[in-house]
Amino acid sequence: MRIKPIHLALALVGLVLGLLLSVQFRVTRDTMKFPQVHRVKTMADKIHDARAERDSKQEQINKMREELDKEAAGAALGALKEELVDARIESGLTGVSGPGIEVTLNDSNLEVKNGGNPNWYVLHDEDILKVLNELRAAGAEAMAINNQRVLSTSEVRCTGPTILINRNQRIAPPFVIAAIGNQDTLINSLEMRNGVIDSLEPWGIQVSIKKVSRVEIPPFPGSISFDYARPVPEEQK
Amino acid sequence: MWIGVWLAALGLALGIALGLNLPFTVPQAYAKYMSVAVLAAMDSVFGGIRAAMEEHYDNRIFITGFFSNALLAAGLAFIGERLGIDLYLAAVVAFGVRLFQNLAIIRRHLLKK
Repeated sequence: MRIKPIHLALALVGLVLGLLLSVQFRVTRDTMKFPQVHRVKTMADKIHDARAERDSKQEQINKMREELDKEAAGAALGALKEELVDARIESGLTGVSGPGIEVTLNDSNLEVKNGGNPNWYVLHDEDILKVLNELRAAGAEAMAINNQRVLSTSEVRCTGPTILINRNQRIAPPFVIAAIGNQDTLINSLEMRNGVIDSLEPWGIQVSIKKVSRVEIPPFPGSISFDYARPVPEEQK
Repeated sequence: MWIGVWLAALGLALGIALGLNLPFTVPQAYAKYMSVAVLAAMDSVFGGIRAAMEEHYDNRIFITGFFSNALLAAGLAFIGERLGIDLYLAAVVAFGVRLFQNLAIIRRHLLKK
């Protein structure tokens, strides 16, 4: 039997059909692989890596600080060392302790009244900021929220039910604000009539203040860098 | 007759092997058009087999039908997408119905023998 053009045409049709079928099969199989799931997994891996890197860097920082302390312990550097200690307390790089108060804030346990906005019954970043501000005004020397040091550069940001502080350290209620300073002044500043606590209590926000004879305030965990601000030369002051 | 069948089967196997081993695939966006084209091509093949059994198979009609049906179906789906009408559904229904019809007729022919 001779091979006629008709046979070649049939082979060609078969070839094209096979090609179409298999390519389509592959495309469909690739679609079924859920690219989103894959993406989420890579993102999670990336976050995990970044966390591990952050932790190792933190360890490095701690080690280098220790070394620095050892170096500074030399007798010849006595005066400089004192200055350094003062500067570090001031900048929050050293943990400090002393008499002070602890303010515990928690979301309201009242039921939301009919037509009431549930937002009124939870703590917001503004409430925390108000308390911090009042404590600062009353002369608090060092403050921390949930063991996160509060510096002049610390942000307090709202992210849903949690609050971010110190470059995105996440803290959740109850918020314990520790402050070192004159205990009576601090407490009076908060309990002032029409003050910050008066403004929170109608919504049932739970506030409790207690005097603590020895408040421990941890050091700022990160480093403080000034990329833009430069000291002004003496003569220009 | 049989040499043609064998050659077609050979081509089919070769095409599948080739398609599975191609270093690239069709982008996802075109997968829908291609699925309709595949359906049209399969319909043409079964139509060809049916015609061969009824002994009025015409090679020219078969070849042109195969390619033009596939292209037309893909093109229809493409245009429908641009117009916001799911025209590929029309192709799926039309070719699907014809495919089953052809299969039913082929079955009868096989049973009658």
